[in-house]
This record gives sequence, C-alpha cells and structure tokens, in this order.
Amino acid sequence: MDSQVLDRIERVQRSVDEWLRPDNYSLKKAIDKTVNEGHFSFQDIKYQVQTLKKRLKKEEFILWAEQAGLNSGTNQKTVMCLHAGNLPLVGIQDILAIALSGHRYLGKISRKDPYLPQTLLEILRKENLVDGVWSLELDDLEGNRADAVMFSGSTNTAGPVITRLDELGIASADTPRLMRTAHFSIAHIEDNQPDTMHDLANAVFRYGGKGCRSVAMVVAPFNLNSSKCSFTDYVESFWLKQPQHQKAPPSLYHRYAYNKAAGIEQAWLDEFLIEETEMEPVDPFILHWVKGDRQKASELANRYKNSLQSVYVTDPSVEIPNLPVLPELLSEAQQPPVWWKPDGVDPLRWLGDL
Amino acid sequence: MSNSNEITETLFDDEKPFLERAQFAYRYQVVNNPIYKVFASHFFGENQQPDSVAEIPLMPIRAFKELELIAEGKEPELIFKSSGTGSMSRSRHHVADSWIYRKAIQDGFNEHFDTEFTTILCYAPGYSKNPDSSLLWMLNHLIENDPIGLSQFLPLGQPLKKEMFEELYRPDRTIVLFGAAFGLLDLIDLGSSPLPKTAQIIETGGMKTYRREMSKQELRNELSDGFSLPKKQIHSEYGMCELLSQMYAIGSEWLTTPHWMHATIRDPEDPTRRYAPEIEGKIGIIDLANIYSCPFILTEDRGVADEEDRISVSGRWNPADLRGCNFLIDRD
Repeated sequence: MDSQVLDRIERVQRSVDEWLRPDNYSLKKAIDKTVNEGHFSFQDIKYQVQTLKKRLKKEEFILWAEQAGLNSGTNQKTVMCLHAGNLPLVGIQDILAIALSGHRYLGKISRKDPYLPQTLLEILRKENLVDGVWSLELDDLEGNRADAVMFSGSTNTAGPVITRLDELGIASADTPRLMRTAHFSIAHIEDNQPDTMHDLANAVFRYGGKGCRSVAMVVAPFNLNSSKCSFTDYVESFWLKQPQHQKAPPSLYHRYAYNKAAGIEQAWLDEFLIEETEMEPVDPFILHWVKGDRQKASELANRYKNSLQSVYVTDPSVEIPNLPVLPELLSEAQQPPVWWKPDGVDPLRWLGDL
Repeated sequence: MSNSNEITETLFDDEKPFLERAQFAYRYQVVNNPIYKVFASHFFGENQQPDSVAEIPLMPIRAFKELELIAEGKEPELIFKSSGTGSMSRSRHHVADSWIYRKAIQDGFNEHFDTEFTTILCYAPGYSKNPDSSLLWMLNHLIENDPIGLSQFLPLGQPLKKEMFEELYRPDRTIVLFGAAFGLLDLIDLGSSPLPKTAQIIETGGMKTYRREMSKQELRNELSDGFSLPKKQIHSEYGMCELLSQMYAIGSEWLTTPHWMHATIRDPEDPTRRYAPEIEGKIGIIDLANIYSCPFILTEDRGVADEEDRISVSGRWNPADLRGCNFLIDRD
C-alpha cells in the first residue's frame, strides 16, 4: 500500500476518533436535535454510534483499501452522493469511501437525518479529507457538475432522479452512477436457541426493520405456529429495551385482516406483522416466515436475488448451496464491517475505478 | 337475500344513490362471500355497516391471485385469467353471471359511443385463441353485437389500408379502432394509412412496450401523429381481469366511471383514507358488477384524481421504495 493512501487512512481514522469522542459536543448536540425532532430514537442512534466505534478501526480501513485496490494515482473527480435517511447515518460508508478515495464530495443530506452526517463531514473538511459542498436541499447544489453519482433507490426511481439532476445541471443520463436497489436480507436459522432468537430479533426489528441489511424473511426448520410464542418473547424483550420508533401505518392492519381472510398463518405484534408466506418482502413492518432447510434458503435467495442484500447464517460452518451472495453472520446483520458491499459492490473500489 | 334479478336491478338502478347500492352490495358480500366476510369483520361488527363509500373495506387485489372469490352457491359461467408469463401467478376472475358482464360492457361503451352506429375494429388477437382474456371477450362481445356485422378483429402484422376504410365506410357510422398501446404503435410502424377523419381510437393500456416505457401523454401524441387524428379522438380504456366494468378517458387521460362504479385515490398507508385531488396514491375501485366475486378492490395501480373525481393512472405502485434505502422518498 502506498504511503499517501496510508496517510489518508490515518487522517480518516483520526477524524473518526475525534468525531466519536464522548466529549464531542457537536455530535451530542446533533443527537439531541435528531431525537427531539423525532427523526430517530435515542436507542437507535446510540446503537449505530456504538457500532461505528466498534467497526471504524485503522486495520479495517487498511483491509478495505487493500480489498478495493486503492492507490494514490486516482484522478480527482466530483462525486454526488444522494443520501437516504431511513436509518441514522446510513450514508456514512459513502462519505468515508469518498474521504479515502480523495474525490471531491457533493452531498444531498437527507432531511430525515439532517444533523448527524454533517458533524462528521465538518471534521473531515477540517482535516482536508472532504473537499466540496453539501446541503439538505438539492436545489442548493445547482450548477455543481458531478462526474459520478451514488444513490439508493429502485429501478423505477432511477429515471426521475437522473432527470432532476439533469435539470439542475449536476449530472446527466450518461454520468456514471452507482445505484443500490437491494431492500431486504434473508436469515437462515437451524435452531431456536436463545442466542439465535436474540440475534434474529435484533436483525429483524432494529430500526423498525428498515434498510437492506434488516432481515425481512426467515427460513427456519419449524413453522411460525410452533415458534410464535417463544419468538414473540424475544421480540417483546427487544422492544422493552428499544421501543420501535416509527409506528406501523394502518395498512398493516389491513394486511392482517387480509391474511385472516386468506387463512395465512400470522402473528400480530401491533407494530409489526409476522406472516408465513414466501412472497417477496416489499412492505415495511412485515417479517416473512418460511419453513424450510438450506435448500429452501438458497431457492428463495435466488428467486429474489435482484432485491436481496444478504443471507445470514448463525454459524460460519453453515454452507448453503448456490447462494447468489456471500453469507454473513446473523449477529453482524446490523453491525457490518466498514467494507461491506451494498448490492455486492464495494463503493471504494467503484470510486477508485472512476 | 334477494334473487339474482332483484340484485342486478338494484345495482344498475341509477335512480338510487351510489352509496345505497354500495351498501346493498356490502351486505350481499358479507352474507354470501365468506372470504370478504372475514376481511370486513376486522373493520365492522356483524350489525354494523359502512356509512360512507370511503369506509367500505377494499380487498387487496392479490386476492384474485390467491383465492377463489365467488359467492356461495354460485358456479362460474366464465373464468378469466390475467396475462402473465413464467413464474408470475395469474389473477382468476370467476364470473357467475355473464349477463352482468355483457351489460357492463354494453352500457359502459354506450355512455360514450353508440354501438348501433359504430364499426369496431380490434387490433388484437382473436378471442378464440385467448379464451382466458376478459379484454378479448369484451371486444368479441362488442363485435358480435354490431347490428350490421361490419365490426371485426383485424389481422395482426398487417398495416391498415385505405381500401379497407373505403369498404367499411357508411355515412351514418363511426369507426372505432381498439388496440393495446404497443399494438397501435406497431400499426403505425407498419405504415398504416391515416384513419378516416371521423374515426376514434381507444387504447387499452400496455404502455410498457418491448421498445420502451412511455407516458400516456407521449402515447397520445404518437397515436395522434401516426394516425393523423386530433387528440380529442384518442381515448383510453381502463379495465382488468379483476373488474367486470371499464372506465374510459375520452379525448384525454382522465378516466370516468359508469354510474355503477366508483374510483378513488387512497392513501397506501391507510386505504380507508381518500386522498384529495392531485395527490398520488393507490387506486381503489368499487365495481358493483363484481357482485358475485368481490366489488371492493384496492388495486396496485398508482394514480391521481382531479377536482371532478376523474382518475389518471400513472403506473404500478412499488412498495419496495418504502422499505429499503431510497433517496426519492426523502422528498418531504
């Protein structure tokens, strides 16, 4: 690894350490404002901050840079990041990837997570690791030409996003873009031991089930009916410690009524619904329970591979045949390493190849 | 409960307010459709009923894919299936009384055109080759009811020729060309002659062509240019296997319902909530002609209403946009 990249990693590490210091007043203030304005719960932010403290280590950054083949010869480009705001600090990986790559940053900060990312950006700017502009309003970025665009969405939304960027003179249909479309993960479990159930509850219900790393489908050797009671105990205990911040919409009750009419096995948890169906998980606040083995997990992962982020297992020795993605540990569903690959693409490698 | 004649008379009686007829259909469903009964019981008790049209619980349209929706004691005279390929599951509509479907087709069409003085040309595969299709059944019915027998299915893959129009010309009749959006565009590409000046076009949807997806507006422009007709003569029909009635958009993209049908835009997060004009949501439909299957349906189509309660369809609803990380839903 060349010395300039290593130097950059060290500066990023220093900035992150400074940002995550318990006495960082601006972060504390941002957390308070975020909680007070109802964007996220304190528990969810605390969990995310603790995860970052655990994961953002120098050796992890080095590993990331090595895996991505990062070198200092990269021509500086301007990269537009359209950050989502469904979870606290969901766009942090993209910010760190740009800081490491040395590209210029152009950021549309989500109005749903308006304060937290900016506290990191300010520190990175002070260290000259982020050069660029950001705003909560896309219109404020008008005329800043981007050489590449990173965002999350669906194939349906790509067109309108690009059209809007084009109108503002930021990017065109020809501008290289990294779009992520995955919206859920699958967990394959083989027992109902306390550790498994505890990890499953965290993987499903953390952040109200939002985000592509959250589990929206479980493949288990037992059906929902037989495990309903024990699993809901874990869910209740999870919610006791971290109540679900976002309440489920009334449409969830309509789903429950429909399932009753259709004779679909289900468990109603007030703010969440577990149903025994193999349908593609597209609706929020619903966990799909499927009775099946490793073969079944593989079949479902392949059926929904275009929307799938990850398949989790409870033990590294579990081998699921023909998976379209590399399996990960269930316990790490909500605590990914900094170098995890949204939609299977390493953003740092993508930026390095620009 | 009433017998079949009384039921249909009530449903199609435009002297009665729509709410009264919808409540009648609600009571019929709760008594005769065990699936709807269970669904509705989560919103209204046994002795309660909705006081407004918006309160009537709308069954998710997937029920037509997953369940057999037919009133107790009824047998299907017809079974329609939605189009679908590969692993896609298809909707099935069990039609217990084909007379109702005929009436809905005829009366719905006659609200805008006059079957007696219309020559219908359908650029679509014939019904005999696609007996599952409710659209082709409808077109076939309209053709068969042409009193002088000029209406017909057109051969596929051949351009429309001037000579054909000359042959079909009758001074007191109007030509109506029916076709799926992509089929009509194909006709233009095949080098069809301009249509007679008084002709009308009705496109039946399917704008996601093998070439590209296009908006209604673009489609209307292309059809207008391609067939040399003013846009006021380009219309749309909105129907589906799950509905026995159709909506028409006459000379615009705004659909209107016949008097036994009601379409509203619902909040996808609370389907009992009706959206105000210009807010995009899911299209909710009450089609009283569906009395023996399920008249109360929440579709998966996106749309908006205007101040006159007309509906414009903008595409399919994609709930996955709400679940994953999505920049667009950040527009607050």
